[in-house]
Amino acid sequence: MILESVELVNFLCYSGDKNKFEFKEGINVIVGDNGYGKSKLYDAFYWVMYDKIFDTNAKSFRTTSQIKDQLVSDKAKNDTDHGPIQVSVKLTFHDTEKDEVYILERKYEIRKSDGGILSDDASELIISHKELSYMNARVVNDPHKIDIIKGKILPDNIKPYMWFQGEQVESIIDFNQNDTLTQAINVLSNISRYDNIITLADSLKESGIKELNRKKRDLSKDLTASEELEVRRKRIEEKIHAKQIQEVQIKDNQAKAEERSERLLNQLSDAKRIRELEQDRKNIEENLRRVREEHLEAQIAYHKKMFTNKWVLKSTEGIFDDYSKAYDGYEQTKLKKETERKANLMAADKLLKEMQTRLPIDVPEPIHMEKMLEIERCLVCDREAPEGSEPYQKMKEILERSKMRAQDMVEEDKPKNDFSMDLKKLYQNGLAMSHLIDGVDDDITRALEQLDKLDSRRRELQEEYDKLDSQVKAVIGETAINVNDANNLINEYSAQNDMAKNAIEQSSQLKYEIEKLESELALIEKDLTGLVVGELPVYLEEKVEVLNDFQAIAHSTRKRVFNRLVEMLESEANRHYQEMTSANLSAKGIIRLRELSNGKNYMPELVDEQGNVLRQLNTSNIILIKLATIMAIVSARQSSRDTDLYTLITDAPTSVFGEDYTIGFCRTVSKVYRQSIIMSKEFYKNEKLRKELLQDDEINLGNVWMITPSIPEAERTNRNSLTTHIQKLN
Amino acid sequence: MTREEILRSFLEDELVEKKGYLKKSEVESFKWTSANTNKLVEVIKFAIDGEVSNESSNITEKRINQYLNK
Repeated sequence: MILESVELVNFLCYSGDKNKFEFKEGINVIVGDNGYGKSKLYDAFYWVMYDKIFDTNAKSFRTTSQIKDQLVSDKAKNDTDHGPIQVSVKLTFHDTEKDEVYILERKYEIRKSDGGILSDDASELIISHKELSYMNARVVNDPHKIDIIKGKILPDNIKPYMWFQGEQVESIIDFNQNDTLTQAINVLSNISRYDNIITLADSLKESGIKELNRKKRDLSKDLTASEELEVRRKRIEEKIHAKQIQEVQIKDNQAKAEERSERLLNQLSDAKRIRELEQDRKNIEENLRRVREEHLEAQIAYHKKMFTNKWVLKSTEGIFDDYSKAYDGYEQTKLKKETERKANLMAADKLLKEMQTRLPIDVPEPIHMEKMLEIERCLVCDREAPEGSEPYQKMKEILERSKMRAQDMVEEDKPKNDFSMDLKKLYQNGLAMSHLIDGVDDDITRALEQLDKLDSRRRELQEEYDKLDSQVKAVIGETAINVNDANNLINEYSAQNDMAKNAIEQSSQLKYEIEKLESELALIEKDLTGLVVGELPVYLEEKVEVLNDFQAIAHSTRKRVFNRLVEMLESEANRHYQEMTSANLSAKGIIRLRELSNGKNYMPELVDEQGNVLRQLNTSNIILIKLATIMAIVSARQSSRDTDLYTLITDAPTSVFGEDYTIGFCRTVSKVYRQSIIMSKEFYKNEKLRKELLQDDEINLGNVWMITPSIPEAERTNRNSLTTHIQKLN
Repeated sequence: MTREEILRSFLEDELVEKKGYLKKSEVESFKWTSANTNKLVEVIKFAIDGEVSNESSNITEKRINQYLNK
């Protein structure tokens, strides 16, 4: 079935009714930059077939009833003030084998009135059929026939492999779902026929054995014993069945765990490196924090030491010396004065004593002395003694002598305040401190050295931290694994490994138990046969043997055919992979479809020539392996069923890998698919690549179209006048 | 896959030769239409035929049982 054309009327950015793309066999390419309408065209195909379009924001498909008037081009809505606006997409398919044509047209209508919009709830799909391409088309109304036609265009189970967007490639063969490849093989091959034959063979064998057992019971010489044995046999069979189911589950779990471990192994070394670097970073961060705290404490302590360690006394040696001298001077002066005072006292004492020896005290009596002073005449020697004269003074001394003591005579020279003790204390304090002053400089030097040491340690750690931090960020950037992911990954790897080991142990134990039960069963069978009297019908024994062998052959044939299919797929996938990567010299490796331990599922992986698995695959590698595997499934199917051809429609499949692979991809696609429609921005941006596409002899090229918006995205504030210009390039 | 191809894949099984149903040379030259009295081969053909013609498995099973009960 070839898709001949798509015609769009007012569908999203395809405003108006002049939007038509025609396609041919081979690879048809829609070239356009981001936002030019490629995905909208993909939506148009999808909308016709499934009444849904892909909502890029919600990352899910939405139906017409959910989208409603958003399906209609803004220009059409803006240009119409009043009345209906019709949206439609028409796909024309041509069955070239039978020369039949199928036209699928989906329509949707809204009405504008008084500024408001009334939207229909549902769209309408009209399918027309031309029995011969030149005849008139007739509308198909029979739902059954409609389903058949849609199935001919694209069966549901094949849809994921034929119609997909670039970002969906990941999920078509999901490395996290270990049976997706097996499912794809089942869908796209004839292996299901073998599965059906196995089911038939199992059922036939079971009924044959039941028939034989019934016959044995009928011919038993001891019916009670036979019945007892049969009950035992049934119980054992049930046990075996239960254990077999358990064994399958365990093997499935083992396969999943092994596959998961394998997958994680790709990232394990990165994860371990990230974790180690992160651990180092944390250790250094902790050291840095401690050193910073120590540095801060040392800085605070440094200031406190001004007083606690008497650094404030630094350079005060001179002051103490000055004080010592002043204190010494004070003491000397005081001592001198004291000595002088003592000498004066002694002199006074001597004078008094001398005076006493010359003239006793109160002789003459004070009243006479006072009289003599009054008259200013000494009555003893009868001489004049005027006031102020020496005789007058002597008379006065004699009068006062009786009141005088030597102490009093020198007392006036005695200092009034004695600071000697205070000054001594100050001196002693200064003396004690003067011993410390000598050590202050060393102490300060030591403290500064400690601060410097801490500061340089802090700087070293900071540098080390910055280095590790940038290393961690670089590895995270390269691997797209963050620290949490790395820890989770390592933990999960370990957990999956443990699960796989446990599953192996459990499986081995179950195998042993099943063998034991089967031995018991064989003994019961022998006993039951021993109870038979006469001959069992030959045909029946032969029948059971044939059915037994048929069942064994059905199982082993299915496995053999499946393995052969896998080998063929592997070879096809490698052919496609090599072709797609031929322009990139650095791309290496061979695709191997590895059988998982449950014997049912296969996973694609890349190995070197010695069969060693290549780890650390980049996104391009992974996507190309997946695409090569999908193409292998499709191309393998074509080789066996020529008529089963469907059009590959894919939006931006090349955006997920480098431009080096784009031409290789197109060559491969044009060989694998009879018809394909590819939307690509690479050919828009890279003119050389576009030229290569148009001129490459190895590409079976269909039509190449370029789409451009009437107003560039940067220059428009709304889409009210937006149309899409469609230009054929070849 | 055609009936012939499916039948060939079954007959290639080592058990066919091992249990003496067909010799290797017979397998190689065996055709869908080849004359045959071998019960296993007939059962396989019944099964393939039923599968390819989308026959119900109950009917195929019945046909095989009838054949083997002769």
